[in-house]
Amino acid sequence: MAIPTLSRKRKLVTRKSPSLEEDLLVAAVPDGRLDGFSEEEDSNAEESVGESDLEDEDDEISGEELDSGDELDSDEIPSEDDDEDGIRKQLRNLKTSNGSNGDLVHTNGDRRRVRSTSPSLPSVSVERELERAGSPEDDSANYTIEKDANGNTRYVYRPIDPVYDSDDSDAPATTNTIGDIPLSFYEAYPHIGYDINGKRIMRPAKGEALDALLDSIDLPKGWTGLTDPATGKPLQLNREELEVLRKLTRNEAPGDGYDPYPDMVEWFTSKTEIMPLSAAPEPKRRFIPSKHEAKRVMKIVRAIREGRILPYKAPSEEEQEDLDVINYDLWANEAPRPDHPMNIPAPKLPPPGYAESYHPPPEYLPDQIEKQAWEDAEEEDRDKDFLPTDHTALRKVPGYARFIKDRFERCLDLYLAPRVRRSKLNIDPESLLPKLPSPDELRPFPTVCATQYVGHKGRVRTVSVSPCGRYLASGGDDGTVRVWALFTGRQVWSCKFSSDEAVNIVRWRPGRDALILTACAGDSVYFVVPLSLCDPNHEVASRAVLDDGFGYATTSSTTTPTTKPTSSKWTRPTQKLQDAGVLLQITLNAPPKSLSYHRRGDYFSTVSPASTSTAVSIHTLSKHLTQHPFRRLRGLAQTTSFHPSKALFFLATRQSVRVYDLQAQNLVKTLQPGAKWISSLDVHPLGDNLLLGSYDRRLLWHDLDLSLTPYKTLRYHSKAIRAVKFHPNSGAVPLFADCSDDGSVQIFHGKVVGDGMENATIVPLKVLKGHRVTAGLGVLDLDWHPKEPWCVSAGADGRCRLWC
Amino acid sequence: MSRIASGSPTPTASASQVRIRLTAGSVDVQLPGDVGPILVSTALRRIQLSQLVNKLLDTEKPIPFEFLINGQFLRTSIDDFLSSRGISAETTLDVKYVRALIPPLHTTTFEHDDWVSSVDILSAASAEEKAIASGSYDGHLRIWSTSGNALATSPGVGEGGHANSIQATRWVSSTQLATSSSDRTLKIWNYDDTTLTPALELYGHTSSVDSVAVHGPSSRMLSASADGMLALWTTSKSDAPAAPAQLLPTAASNKRRKLSNSSRQVPQRGPLSMLSGHAQQASAVIFAPNDPTVAYSTSWDHSMKTWDLTTSACVDTRTTAQSLLTLCALPARNVLATGTSARHITLIDPRASATSFVAMTLRGHTNAVVALAASPEDDYSLVSGSHDGTCRIWDLRNTRASVASDGGGPVCESVYSFGRDGVQGSRVGGEGVKVFGVCWDADVGIVSCGEDKRVQINRSTP
Repeated sequence: MAIPTLSRKRKLVTRKSPSLEEDLLVAAVPDGRLDGFSEEEDSNAEESVGESDLEDEDDEISGEELDSGDELDSDEIPSEDDDEDGIRKQLRNLKTSNGSNGDLVHTNGDRRRVRSTSPSLPSVSVERELERAGSPEDDSANYTIEKDANGNTRYVYRPIDPVYDSDDSDAPATTNTIGDIPLSFYEAYPHIGYDINGKRIMRPAKGEALDALLDSIDLPKGWTGLTDPATGKPLQLNREELEVLRKLTRNEAPGDGYDPYPDMVEWFTSKTEIMPLSAAPEPKRRFIPSKHEAKRVMKIVRAIREGRILPYKAPSEEEQEDLDVINYDLWANEAPRPDHPMNIPAPKLPPPGYAESYHPPPEYLPDQIEKQAWEDAEEEDRDKDFLPTDHTALRKVPGYARFIKDRFERCLDLYLAPRVRRSKLNIDPESLLPKLPSPDELRPFPTVCATQYVGHKGRVRTVSVSPCGRYLASGGDDGTVRVWALFTGRQVWSCKFSSDEAVNIVRWRPGRDALILTACAGDSVYFVVPLSLCDPNHEVASRAVLDDGFGYATTSSTTTPTTKPTSSKWTRPTQKLQDAGVLLQITLNAPPKSLSYHRRGDYFSTVSPASTSTAVSIHTLSKHLTQHPFRRLRGLAQTTSFHPSKALFFLATRQSVRVYDLQAQNLVKTLQPGAKWISSLDVHPLGDNLLLGSYDRRLLWHDLDLSLTPYKTLRYHSKAIRAVKFHPNSGAVPLFADCSDDGSVQIFHGKVVGDGMENATIVPLKVLKGHRVTAGLGVLDLDWHPKEPWCVSAGADGRCRLWC
Repeated sequence: MSRIASGSPTPTASASQVRIRLTAGSVDVQLPGDVGPILVSTALRRIQLSQLVNKLLDTEKPIPFEFLINGQFLRTSIDDFLSSRGISAETTLDVKYVRALIPPLHTTTFEHDDWVSSVDILSAASAEEKAIASGSYDGHLRIWSTSGNALATSPGVGEGGHANSIQATRWVSSTQLATSSSDRTLKIWNYDDTTLTPALELYGHTSSVDSVAVHGPSSRMLSASADGMLALWTTSKSDAPAAPAQLLPTAASNKRRKLSNSSRQVPQRGPLSMLSGHAQQASAVIFAPNDPTVAYSTSWDHSMKTWDLTTSACVDTRTTAQSLLTLCALPARNVLATGTSARHITLIDPRASATSFVAMTLRGHTNAVVALAASPEDDYSLVSGSHDGTCRIWDLRNTRASVASDGGGPVCESVYSFGRDGVQGSRVGGEGVKVFGVCWDADVGIVSCGEDKRVQINRSTP
């Protein structure tokens, strides 16, 4: 801020120059008056009152200083010099005449030093001036003139007293004279401090409210509205400071990297530029039409006029058609279609890449090995059908040999490409399946083999669990019927019926009042009461059941005028068999392959497929009576069953199941299971559902109320199904099972709701494996325990197994 | 507090420690003096704790110990035990140590001619003259000494023996035995160290008699039959009523069964009372351990019934989900263990006040459990025989958390399992190895019999 300070002084000086003498005149008056005076004088001065006050004070001694400022302010000072010369003389006189005044001057000089805001150079010069002014006599005594060795004069200067503290240019500019005392200390007083003489420095008068208003209306230049915290006066800024502030606010202040003096760029030099910038005006020739061109145009005009040049005429359509080229436009008849997801526009060729270029980048060019490999490969095996080749210029590119072939293939692509989008089904297949309960929730069901019944030689063809659940009967190829204790597997009874014919069927007679086992071996049906197993009461009851019919047969045989003579004979077996407990024998025409009891145990039916007309027989145990209700049977009878509660009779032929009403003696319906060869049939204990097993591996669930076709067809076995069976206690244990020649027994959950409002729930539960497949036969028969979820299977490997 | 550097082979410095207070389970292994709480590493397992206790006891021969924390066996490290049960390691653990069960080893085998259905040990006799009775499917009752000598064999059918397989055998006293048979009778036998003579023939059941229970002091006897009836008998000839006439064998039936007239006439008696209530065959019956007027019975109809014998009335019925095949009382635990056809053992609390009558389930067998016997040595152990051909020893404190397939409730796992002698692995359906009877005596060991026609003795020798 050196320059502004200097200029400020300069201005001050120039302004005050007329009043300098007055100042000097009042120099002796007390400071207070001086202050007041100068205040009046400078009330609208640019600079602060205090400052100008001090400046005024200084002026009495700074004449020299101003004088010495010649080299700085060469413009204006000379005009003042004349005035000041006199002043200086006066000053000198004053100082020399009055020693105390000299002291005063010195102290003033000190003060001047203290408050100096000037840069070092002016300050030093001031010092010198002061020194000169303070001791003008020393001017001559500053040096001594001596003679040097050559006799020349030589000025020997005295050492200069450096006057410590003189060089205080680093000290901050002090603008008040009260020292570093906060103004708030004097808030209660009319003054704001003391000057060096101990006089009070009065508080600058504050403008009245009107003045403040006037101040606010016409703002003085540099008015900020702020109060200088150091002096308590209104802070006013001069033009330069305002300029700085303005630049700062407009962000015009140069940043750190701003170089105010950049190196000059020589735009216009003596060097010849390739593309010189020229300020020369456009040459005239550029604005003159070319005579040569006019000549050529006239030549063409003349030729047109003379008809040597004909204007262009578009070739007509006929001319195009005349060409002998045949166009096969595949899409000639194709109407433009709206943009639709189902319509695929013709696919576009990919744009050519770098490799297709006539001058490809070197990385796209094949080396020798790649070229060789490309040539050796079959045409279909090449990854691209051309070899990138480098040509130095487009004009050197030869004709494309594969053009015709490429176009042809492109046409093929377009012609053969599918143009319809395939619609894909996005359905999770799991979600389509009905929600079945987990097998874990459907326990208990048979899971492991609990007992094996070992003893039969040859296949076990049939098993049956006694109604009390304690005994298991089995019959097999060895012609024996064996009875086992169900749980321990102990054989408790056995009898050999035949040595050459297998026991095809064993069935316990239903009912717990008697213990009667029915076995079919050969042509005969035997009734057995295993005496060692049943207690005396049961024995009596069983005998009574079997023997009742003898009396009936003898009495009624004469009185039955009706039917044809039956081919069956009800007799006592041989004594040997009778001793073993076999009490009754029926001999039929053909070996019975299937036997099923009515729920009450009085009726049972047999099927002997070998005899055609008398294949199906219904026997009445209490009357020893055999009937053949179906004289002419369409199809081969396979198996039969009684309805558990109604007077219905189910007869399965090879491919259909007929339902007869026994009371009305008519056919109720014929089920169409769709199986090729039905092997077995079982009626649900509630009577509304039917289970069929077939030799073509199908397990069919018929809902009799629903339709004639199966409600469900299950194909889980890999070989023929031999037997199917519902659990007899299906209310508590809703299970059914089938057995197959693949050696496995499968357990299913089959819940039937009695009210018929809901379809049956069928859940496959368990595959029981264990029986060995012998000669292509696996498990031949199975039966359920009457109460528990246990089932027994008869295997072709000669064993029965209990699963629980 | 004494600090033990512990028998742990490599106790890591970082392993946390827990304070335990050891208490002896029995007097003979009492720690000398008051040891007080011991600071041990939680990484210790049973074997290291056992070494520690042995060191404290200063035993000549190491005794294997089991450790009970809060009534449960320590099977993992202490750390795992604590964390799995949410016990803070800051607390002082009360650890009770008991002698570990020693795996029973096969000692003797008695060969029979046919399947052996039942076995019983004369518990009253002194250790030298322990006698083992076995009933066989050939209808013969045999008495064996512990060394394997056949002391006596019951006579055949003609001499007053059973006409069919023996199903159950019980010692009544040191000179009397009771057997039940599938020939629908029970017999009382007199035994005089060399011969077995039939003393009484008891008629009353109409089907195979599968189970017999004897109360010696009151000379009462209970039987369960496949006809679903229970019968109360007395073993004294004079007190017993006459046999029901319609059940006595007639000449015709004798002839049919190829019985000659028995050379000696055995007195025939009937039941004091018949208890009916089971819908299907009754499988087992026992007297209540502390009250001879109360009986418990199980049946294939899934139920267990409590009977008051003085009024011959069924007091309580507990129905489970499976056929119950055998019954055994654990008096100290107030529960009845019953073997089921669903391959596990169910502990039933018979008290009427019990909120959940299935107290615990013992899982591990792979076939029906048909025989149970309580341990003579402690209150927590029992042995079971199953159709899978194994006997398993259970300790009710050896529990684990039940998983979903167990159907809830605490689950116990077996401590030891041993099969039939000379049989490796398991057989499908227990073919030829089914165990039918099991009996546990403190001196003799575990006696089991089965389909392999043998009575087998397994004994844990400490």
